Amino acid sequence: MPKVSEMKDVKFDGKLHGYVPPKKLNISSKLKLHTKFDKDIDPITYEVIRHSLWHVNEEHGATIQRISGSPVAMYALDLNPSILTADGEFVYFGPYMQYMSGVTDTQVKWILEYRSDNPGIRDGDMFLANDPWVGAAHQQDVMLICPVFWKGELFCWVTNCLHQYDIGGITPSSFCGSAENAFEEGICMPPVKIIENNEIRRDIEEVYLRSSRKPDAVALDFRAQLAGNMTARDRVLALIKRYGPTVVKGVMQKILTNSEKAFLDKLKRLPDGVWRDRTYVECCRPGDRRTHQVMLTLRKKGNRLIFENEGTADQDGAMNATYSGWRGAIMVALNQLLCWDQYFAIGGALRHVEFDPTPGTFTCATFPASVSTAPVQAMEISLYPAYNVLSKMLFIDERMRGDIMCIGGTSQWPATIFRGIDQWGERYGYLLVDPIGGAIGAFSTGDGISNGGQSRTPICRLPNVEHNEQSFPLLILYRKEVIDSGGAGRWRGGLSAETCFIPHRTTSITHDTLSSGNAIPTSTGMMGGYPATVNVYKFKRDTDIKKRIADRDMISDISEVKGTSVELQLRQENFLQHPTDVYAVIWTAAGGFGDPIEREAERVAKDVIENCAVSREAARSIYGVVISENEVFDAEATKALRAERRNARKRKDGPVKILSGKLVAQITDNLAVRKENGSIHTCCAKCSADLGPVRENYKDFAVRADNEITESNPHVGDWKRFIDDRPVFRQFYCPGCGSLLENEIARADSEVLRDIEITSL
Amino acid sequence: MGPYLVGVDIGGTFTDCVVLDKRGNITATKAQSTPGNFAEGMLNAMRVAAERLSMPFEQFCEHISVLTHGTTVGTNALIQRKGAKVGLITTKGHEDAIHIMRGSRGVNSRDISKVVHFPESQKPDPIVPKRYIRGVSERIDCFGDVIVPLNEVEAEVAIKELIALGCEAIAICFLWSFRHAAHERRVAEMVKRIAPGVFVSCSIDIAPKWGEYERTTATVLNAYIGPVMSRYLANLDEQLKKHNYRQPLQITQCGGGSVSIDKAMESPLLTLDSGPVSGVTGSAYFSNLVGTPNVITTDMGGTSFDVGIVANGQPEYSFKSDVIQYEYFLPKVDIEAIGAGGGSLAVVDEFAKTLRVGPQSAGADPGPACYGKGNMTPTVTDADIVLGYIDPDNFLGGRIKLDKSKSIAAVKSVADKLGLTINEAAAGIAKIVEFKMADIIRKMTVEKGYDPRDFVLYAFGGAGPVHASVFGSELGVQKVVVPLREIASTWCAFGAASADILHVYEQVDIQGSPFMPSRVNSVLEELQARAEAQMEKDGIPKNRRKFSFSLDIRHRGQINEVEIMMPEGRLAGSKDQAVLTPGAWEKLRQRFYTRYEQLYGKGASFKGARLEIVTMRVRATSPTQRPKLSKARAMSGVIPKQAKLTTRDIYWADLKKTQKTPIFDGAKLVAGNKIKGPCVIETTQTNVVVHPGCTLKVDAYGNFEMTFK
Repeated sequence: MPKVSEMKDVKFDGKLHGYVPPKKLNISSKLKLHTKFDKDIDPITYEVIRHSLWHVNEEHGATIQRISGSPVAMYALDLNPSILTADGEFVYFGPYMQYMSGVTDTQVKWILEYRSDNPGIRDGDMFLANDPWVGAAHQQDVMLICPVFWKGELFCWVTNCLHQYDIGGITPSSFCGSAENAFEEGICMPPVKIIENNEIRRDIEEVYLRSSRKPDAVALDFRAQLAGNMTARDRVLALIKRYGPTVVKGVMQKILTNSEKAFLDKLKRLPDGVWRDRTYVECCRPGDRRTHQVMLTLRKKGNRLIFENEGTADQDGAMNATYSGWRGAIMVALNQLLCWDQYFAIGGALRHVEFDPTPGTFTCATFPASVSTAPVQAMEISLYPAYNVLSKMLFIDERMRGDIMCIGGTSQWPATIFRGIDQWGERYGYLLVDPIGGAIGAFSTGDGISNGGQSRTPICRLPNVEHNEQSFPLLILYRKEVIDSGGAGRWRGGLSAETCFIPHRTTSITHDTLSSGNAIPTSTGMMGGYPATVNVYKFKRDTDIKKRIADRDMISDISEVKGTSVELQLRQENFLQHPTDVYAVIWTAAGGFGDPIEREAERVAKDVIENCAVSREAARSIYGVVISENEVFDAEATKALRAERRNARKRKDGPVKILSGKLVAQITDNLAVRKENGSIHTCCAKCSADLGPVRENYKDFAVRADNEITESNPHVGDWKRFIDDRPVFRQFYCPGCGSLLENEIARADSEVLRDIEITSL
Repeated sequence: MGPYLVGVDIGGTFTDCVVLDKRGNITATKAQSTPGNFAEGMLNAMRVAAERLSMPFEQFCEHISVLTHGTTVGTNALIQRKGAKVGLITTKGHEDAIHIMRGSRGVNSRDISKVVHFPESQKPDPIVPKRYIRGVSERIDCFGDVIVPLNEVEAEVAIKELIALGCEAIAICFLWSFRHAAHERRVAEMVKRIAPGVFVSCSIDIAPKWGEYERTTATVLNAYIGPVMSRYLANLDEQLKKHNYRQPLQITQCGGGSVSIDKAMESPLLTLDSGPVSGVTGSAYFSNLVGTPNVITTDMGGTSFDVGIVANGQPEYSFKSDVIQYEYFLPKVDIEAIGAGGGSLAVVDEFAKTLRVGPQSAGADPGPACYGKGNMTPTVTDADIVLGYIDPDNFLGGRIKLDKSKSIAAVKSVADKLGLTINEAAAGIAKIVEFKMADIIRKMTVEKGYDPRDFVLYAFGGAGPVHASVFGSELGVQKVVVPLREIASTWCAFGAASADILHVYEQVDIQGSPFMPSRVNSVLEELQARAEAQMEKDGIPKNRRKFSFSLDIRHRGQINEVEIMMPEGRLAGSKDQAVLTPGAWEKLRQRFYTRYEQLYGKGASFKGARLEIVTMRVRATSPTQRPKLSKARAMSGVIPKQAKLTTRDIYWADLKKTQKTPIFDGAKLVAGNKIKGPCVIETTQTNVVVHPGCTLKVDAYGNFEMTFK
């Protein structure tokens, strides 16, 4: 299938294909853009206005949260405000839901191209939009987009996006896990002028609210979005009045060029090359037992980065994302790893980043694919591998090495969608927000962060147990950090948690599951680091929980109750949970960094004895650390066990060549590149064992073991419960010293992935 | 002569003492803080005051009617992680709540612009490691019903294990305990029986609020600083008694006001942040006295800038705070702090050729470059010296000598990188910090539904008056006031001296409308009874007790709660108290909508939705003897000769030039004096910088007031 760049005759106008903004926008001459700006702005004025612009965005976000007041806005922080230049480049986007960044500039550019002539863009207008082919992660993410005019010219844009409880579709909450296409999902609106001349157009608002099961809540959220834009617009205008339009515009331009310069400086320090990652999504519709391959390729060519998804499975079922969803997901990682020091000013960097996916794949779906679940499946799986490819690229530069991060949780979201009559006698329907507790991946310099939130929503909070129990008819038996959930490694991935509940003061709860990453780990580790736990649903019917309650003997784990275990499928619909049925869910945690047997043994011991992060069994089997039954660390036995492991990994069937040529670069925690007799070779970073010429895959020169997938993490179970394709956990060892070079999760029939290809050194 | 009201506030560098006599005379003194034993610095500051009043220390102590003390001992124990080893007992299955931290990394108190750089975003080192947490079988539900009665066998094992591990304090927090307190109470009794000397902290006593994470942290933090605080206060009490102080010692608390020493020992968490809070409560008291009910308070010291708001004579409240990344519940006078002070560092991003100021600070050590302790990066104070705002030979009344050449060298290093003159760079550093402050003040006032133009701005703290006229005029406030001249630099101690006794009692009982008056009133009744009992213990006579009542209400299904005051004290109901009278319901609704829309904007409220009461609250106050401040009888336009000190070269950025500028002695100016900027008023504690276009007036109380063109 061709990539976007290869489809010269196709229109990417947001109808059949997702909108891809052209290099030069086609804007009607009816709209006058304000283009003049001061080039020579003194650093003091720059800093004062820069800080004020940042604050405009902060006030904007705070206004939405205050007025909306909905749990979506206040806990999940599923919103984001932005400021963009007149032609749709980012000046700032906010620190809330990062996915929304990548869908904002496309919306603005589309409006410039397709609305500037008819109905026109004027002072006092705002546009409402949620069409994922124009630019929305999924239909629930509704944007309100406001042009800011100065003396009849379009000066800039302020916009916001806010996730809505329900905007229609076949499933309450509008996450339609069994939808076959977009016609079965919530209302889908290309940008429409809902505010005209500073007034709400009632007709348009009524169209918007008509499909929702919760029109009052959506109406209030709309007012929050409106107030947010008005606040931001007024503040920008006040700045223009205070400092003059050309100065404010000059600062905006300088923010962009500064971030661009910083980005280019970083790229200059890196060699050209190609980095790849491969993962899988499970179950795209009820009953589906296939695995759907996800590919991400990052090419660096000089001062350009190009992202591709070639090799990704076709669009199918209800698991897809559009072009802008995929792009927005990748931008999250790009911003965090490469532009974090530019404080959410990503516009400059984007001038040098190309997104070139293959339309028709499920991460770049064409209309009318079902996309309402995009943020919990297709976008998660578009984002998290991006941490891996970018991190591997950045690792090569010593100064940027400290910025890298492994995949965090939830790399696929295990949804608990429930409904029924609550303890107050009222109808309810929503999803358990707990997995937002996430986990942050390991760093090259330290452990990941247990339940450190979702990296894509960096300031989110999960509800207290008491909040959940007030809102829904639940008795939460436990919510705990899960031992061994974090991927093992020289630096360990953050742990995730498990929530377990029974219905309380209601006769039953009706559930749907919606998940992936239950058979195959999706939070893979990096550079020898192990994957984190998979998603796990646990369900036991007709248990003795009532007796436990009567005996004042509460549980710490679902395994302690007696009952009939039921294997929940990944899109199981309408199953009932009665008060004696116990339900639990573990969400994916974060991947580890580096070879676990290189982790300081004392740290492993502390993880077992004090932190309750690693089990004794995993300490032994994965880390090679021996801790006795009475929790005493055995240094001698550990040393022996680790030596034995390392020895077993070495090449036994032939000689190993050790390189001694000049060290050119270290390209991962375990791999280096050396110049050897005029040719450039990859080698082990520790013992310099030869791993072949750089133009070939180092993995082909390593010792390879294809292990059962269950060996990748103690929580990974039998894959046959959910999928038909056998997955394996491949490990590649240094033939010389037995170091673990890299792990790979793959379908058994997949060829070995070439994850790193350095093309200039 | 006495009786005296005395307030003492301990800060990182100085301990301030303010003495008010019955005629309204004020004596303010400072002594070096003594971090090893803070009591020493406190007594020293009081000794200086006694000397100033020309009487022996013991005699002075004898004549103090109330001594109110603000302490940072608790805060220091937390920041330096020198608190007690705490064990936590909680509901089985929920032991990890304080580790999960609601999936947040405690980013509130951090630089938000760096929030996505995760390697810098670790959670804090746990204040209670997992091995000191024990779960006990018991369960209460959201209705307050006991689903699982307390398993006392498990509780006893838990207590004994924690004691065996060496825990010095035990925190107890069960799910929904604020709806049913018996389980926590029972475990507390068991601890007292099993380990009588151990400090016990129950969530229902310290933070009976909805949300187990923030309630647990409040309880644990309280336990963590409990033993340290008890030791400190007991020692202080003993020393004061030794020196003939015979009245009960009062401790300032973060809710504004003070509590008795016993209460502070029981709930030391109340003392966190109480220093800056006293600055706000002092402002509230003073603003009522001088008739400016709306005040933005700003306290700029060496490392931080604290903003508070007084609206209609009352300080604005917040109900959730954070410390060392942990969020906790506690009703507190709201203070927003940013890392910007005299010590804030000015750094050039050489790549982008831009200049940033703060949040990194040189602190007190090494301090600004002019301290000569090795810091070469310019700070705001260095910029102030270069510009001429501060006389390096007469800083803090000449107590600290500053090296101007070091300031110049430091600022020059920045100026060279940016291609600016030294004066331009120094003015730039000052301007960036001043505008940052304007941004944060604007954000805070707007967020609370106020317009800065309806406010006057109080500037206190050592560095505040130097910069206030700029951020004040940028905000468009009515005027900037440096209250009581040099007292402004000891304002928090003044606030302590003027503090009322205050106890706040809260109960969460979430209930949707239509409300049952009997259910609400019985809770208020009970809260008032608890407050009465505490005041009885404090020895406060009945006629000096004042109670105010409030409800936190929200739209059902939404999160934002607003506090609605209830001057009637109770909800008026039908005969059987089952429903509200139509009048009472209407009044409540109107108050809610008015306050809601004030806070969140017109049209933000959702008139169709049901309302929900979340928290009920009683504030019990007892006014202490009020300081009476003397007012000048006559106003004079004539500036006394001795007030005119000298002239100094000062660079004024607005005029883009250096100009000989008159310098005045603040202590010598008299009520009615009026001076046009540019000029600088020096006091022994701070300098008031009056920019061109700004006019300074001395009012009848001796306040410096600045207004703008």
